[in-house]
Amino acid sequence: MIVEFSLNGQAVREDVAPDMRAVDLLRERLGLSGTKEGCGSGECGACTILVDGHSRLSCLMLAAQLEGRNVITIEGLGTEKAPHTLQEAFTTHGAVQCGYCTPGMILSAADLLAAKPAPTRDDIRKGIAGNICRCTGYVNIVEAIYQASRSLRGEKP
Amino acid sequence: MTEVYMPQTPEALWEMMDARPDAVLYAGGTDVLVHRRAGLIQPRCLICLERMQGWDAIQEEPEGVWIGALATHSRIAEHEGISKRIPVLVQAVSSIGSVQIRHMGTLGGNICTASPAGDSLPALTVLEAEVELARRGSVRRVPVEQFINGPGKTDRKAGEALSRIWVPWPKGPAISRYCKVGRRQAMACAVVSLAAMVSLTQDNRISEARLAWGSVGPRVVRDGRLEGALAGKPYNSRSFQAVFPLVEEAISPIDDIRASAAYRIAASKNLLLHVCGQGP
Amino acid sequence: MLLKQPPSGIGVSAPRTDAMAKATGTEKYASDHYMENMLWAGVKRAGVPHGRIGSVDVSAANGLDGVFAVLTAKDVPGTNRQGITHKDQPVIAEDKVRCVADPVVLVIAETREALAEALSLISVDIEPLPLVLSPQQAMAQGAPLVHDRESNVLKHVVVRKGDAEAALAQCDVVVDFEYATPVQDHAFLETQNGLAWQESDGALTMVVSTQAPFRDRFEIGHALGLNPGRIRVQAPYMGGGFGGKDGATVQCLLALAALHSHGRPVKMWWSREESFIGGTTRHAATMRYRLGANRDGALQALTCRVDYDTGAYAHLGVEVMALGLEHATGPYRVAHTRLEGNCVYTNNVTAGAMRAFGVCQVAAGIEQAMDLLADKLGMDPLELRQKNALHRGDVNAVGVTMTHSTGIAACLDTVAGDAAWQGRRQWKQKAGPDVFRGVGVAAVFNAMGYGRGLSDAAVAKVRLSETGDFIIYSGVADMGQGNAAAYAQIACEVLCQENASVRVVQPDTAQGNPSGSSSAGRTTYTYGKALVHACREMARRLISRAAMALMVDDEREMALLPGRIRHLPTGREMPLSAVAPILHPDDRTCIHQFQMPVALDTVEGGNPFGIGFPHLLFSFAAHAAWVEVSRITGHVRVVDYLAATDGGRVLNPQNFDQQVHGAVAQGLGYALFEDPMPENGMFRAHDFSTYILPTAMDVPPIRSVALETDESSGPFGMKGIGEVGMNGPLPAVANAIADACGIRIPSAPLTAEKVLLAMVGTQSLQARK
Repeated sequence: MIVEFSLNGQAVREDVAPDMRAVDLLRERLGLSGTKEGCGSGECGACTILVDGHSRLSCLMLAAQLEGRNVITIEGLGTEKAPHTLQEAFTTHGAVQCGYCTPGMILSAADLLAAKPAPTRDDIRKGIAGNICRCTGYVNIVEAIYQASRSLRGEKP
Repeated sequence: MTEVYMPQTPEALWEMMDARPDAVLYAGGTDVLVHRRAGLIQPRCLICLERMQGWDAIQEEPEGVWIGALATHSRIAEHEGISKRIPVLVQAVSSIGSVQIRHMGTLGGNICTASPAGDSLPALTVLEAEVELARRGSVRRVPVEQFINGPGKTDRKAGEALSRIWVPWPKGPAISRYCKVGRRQAMACAVVSLAAMVSLTQDNRISEARLAWGSVGPRVVRDGRLEGALAGKPYNSRSFQAVFPLVEEAISPIDDIRASAAYRIAASKNLLLHVCGQGP
Repeated sequence: MLLKQPPSGIGVSAPRTDAMAKATGTEKYASDHYMENMLWAGVKRAGVPHGRIGSVDVSAANGLDGVFAVLTAKDVPGTNRQGITHKDQPVIAEDKVRCVADPVVLVIAETREALAEALSLISVDIEPLPLVLSPQQAMAQGAPLVHDRESNVLKHVVVRKGDAEAALAQCDVVVDFEYATPVQDHAFLETQNGLAWQESDGALTMVVSTQAPFRDRFEIGHALGLNPGRIRVQAPYMGGGFGGKDGATVQCLLALAALHSHGRPVKMWWSREESFIGGTTRHAATMRYRLGANRDGALQALTCRVDYDTGAYAHLGVEVMALGLEHATGPYRVAHTRLEGNCVYTNNVTAGAMRAFGVCQVAAGIEQAMDLLADKLGMDPLELRQKNALHRGDVNAVGVTMTHSTGIAACLDTVAGDAAWQGRRQWKQKAGPDVFRGVGVAAVFNAMGYGRGLSDAAVAKVRLSETGDFIIYSGVADMGQGNAAAYAQIACEVLCQENASVRVVQPDTAQGNPSGSSSAGRTTYTYGKALVHACREMARRLISRAAMALMVDDEREMALLPGRIRHLPTGREMPLSAVAPILHPDDRTCIHQFQMPVALDTVEGGNPFGIGFPHLLFSFAAHAAWVEVSRITGHVRVVDYLAATDGGRVLNPQNFDQQVHGAVAQGLGYALFEDPMPENGMFRAHDFSTYILPTAMDVPPIRSVALETDESSGPFGMKGIGEVGMNGPLPAVANAIADACGIRIPSAPLTAEKVLLAMVGTQSLQARK
């Protein structure tokens, strides 16, 4: 079946098996390996993408469900040359260790900040509770998101 | 390869269900797709309901609110009217999974999964909600308590789909709380849960206590004898402690991978004191 | 003459050089590699924990569309045995299975769907054999044997110092303590995986998520009868390792698949559920302690017996036990010790290397025994530890002289001086009606490096590129601990270059040099020290060559600066981009080997440990946990956590804290939540819905303080701290729970269920107001 959707601002049209998982469509068919798979059962958040502005788990979405949607993956949020404020903050504040949870974590943070531009640290912990990190203990991740939120609100570091 | 259909109208849905009576319906996929991966179900055809026009609508009326089966947990939690008037439902759906799961999962899905640990179910029970089941040409309404028969089992008949949920507004002010005990602070399956709506008289007596426990039996546990025993009693911890033996009789927890029956019994009683505003 | 400090000097919290690529999704892990014309490989696993293989029916799988090849043990050349030290694990099971995860059939298919279907169509007939599911069962008279040996005991050892039994009899106070620690899963987010192919000349190339690319070649070579020199392994950044990617996981199976794929690349990527059983875990352990002291609190004698369940295969089981016994006494002076250990085969999932291996089990034992002792003595638990803490120059409890940096006393003093520690009594009294509050401490340490018997060496290689940049050929894989970034930092410092001029190439056996595994807290220390020397040689050489070009007769007049070499008296400069072309390629490369120093003391009873015992260098830490125990649910919530760590000099405070945070978080998972629930050789919890990892709402803000000692043997005075932080949380939290409500649970994890049922058992909740 043909599925058409917007991916990182570009129109995409692919002929796929309808039950192909969204995460596989992104990684294997479209070569965007920034979206990771950690468990395949919706428990770790590594596969998080933004769909119509909301964070969703691409391992629990079928390709058919992407039809007509606006999809943002980590590659669409920012690049090494032009990183998003969150990507900058994660780098600066030591929030990246093995980095495997990082793309999903950053997109969850983007979802949080869209809904709550001035979160407390507790709001942040709640907002990223669906993203497991095995390396950092979340300490620097929370700080990075907090500082990114301030930066996005125009506050000085 | 599994076929996947995404109908947008009831007519299209009935047609697909007629053509493929073996099809498994799903909404957000956070239960069905997980079960499919685990091999618990092996559907050759999936019907995804997420594009059904209007089936995610939340419509307030004077007597209560119609919540579309496809309304996601996060939309329900954000809804002003629901938050103000039936906070127990907001507390319940807000405790499900993670932010991502709440953006995907739906109230209809949570009900149809009919897990003994389903978080919306104790809340819908004390709210005395009803589900609306639609089929070609007709609808019927069933109280949520009756709709769920057992773990994973509902009264949904062939050719039917859960379209809306009716939640009547509470008659008067009530202490309204949902509390869930999980194995960690987030992303936790309920090990024990309790939804409570307690209304009081002028002189601080219990006029009505609606109590529904989750994860302590094959279905949500709501016990008329227990609630009757509380009616008229003073609103203090002694009154709730006095019904502990009735709690033990009403619930039938099992030992499973998440907890033992003994823990569930102890926690069920403690939750009653805690949720009703009187700590141990 | 003052030189401008480069932006990322030693001691500066510089962001990691790999962070942005990871944050933008451009860094490719092994699992992110896909190739044209690729095949997928997977295995059918035994599903039975012990048994004799009867018939294996692959006919339906073979006939399936999209199946490329189906292989069994008869297709394995070579020995069909893999393992790090003990080669006891078949790549594909032959006549017997010892573990539910034993591969019985290897399938290669065009797609993952075809692979899954093929695997489901294979039926393996296994005649069950009786099980041994614990060291106790496995050591019993007449127990079924897991391997073709006289007993299931892989190793039994007794390490002694002095006469502990006699000394115990003389002690004023003695405490007894028994404890059990559970299996723990690494739960790295990127599961075991790799991609392999055979080149046109028959050599094998593999991109794999591995902690030991150089050793992997030998493990594969031995298992499959291949020349290790004709196997190339590339090790990209791993999405976590924690010991679970040390030793062959997919490697031998992948190599076998690649030998049968007619040159096509083959990918293998374990599912999460498969990762739980197919990989290794932390050893479950049971322990019995007797600890004796004088009335003034000076420790006199300790005996302990620790049994480690190594599961079906040895992996690093003996080394785990060796390290455990070495740490069984805690970081204290104890005059007399008798440390007995058994490492035992069972039919459980294989236990192997996992962060702080062997140590976090015994740390839980000794640190709770210390609290019991403090209680019996009427002493403050922190003061008891301070009194007995090792100092430099002491002989430790296995008989090794602490000639190197030993900072545990400073760590304990830091906790003692902490405002929240000092205010703990008032804090406890302010507990709300629904909780008990308590505070607990733990003093921990963890050896660095391989210990005796195995050379802990690394060969650093640095090259000046044709364009005048520096390339470091890492020999040690980076699993997230940041050693690659540390190498860049070290090189920038020694070569006086800016970040942008230095890049690190991840380990590739065709480009770098053997440098040991990414493990044992040695990953920055050993390679880093080698790199310091290699960079110094590089600097000397470049200056020398530039002197020739600039016609300078005294090299001392030259300085290597960012991007250039300067003749200081005249100010003449030569850019490195101009130096590079005048050098022969061989001349632009510097290689240096460094070997970690070893302990030279003789330890009584240590001989049975061929390798891995004892150690010379240790990192130390003192931890404190503030907890609230829910009277409603039994949940233990850690609301504050302090870790004071001695890791020598701190190269990069941000990196240092990252390691501490991560180790403490993983330790809190071990302490409170994680349990795969072994039952009949299987794991009841083998996915992320039932194996509970801490989320962001479960880990408190962790306070990390560094106590800098000077470990002169290490690069810039540092020691590795990747592991020590793992050891503190379980005992600190257990001690805090005991402080809060007088309950001591005899096993980890300290779940809400165990705590609530213990509370309900000891007293009626209603009665306590």
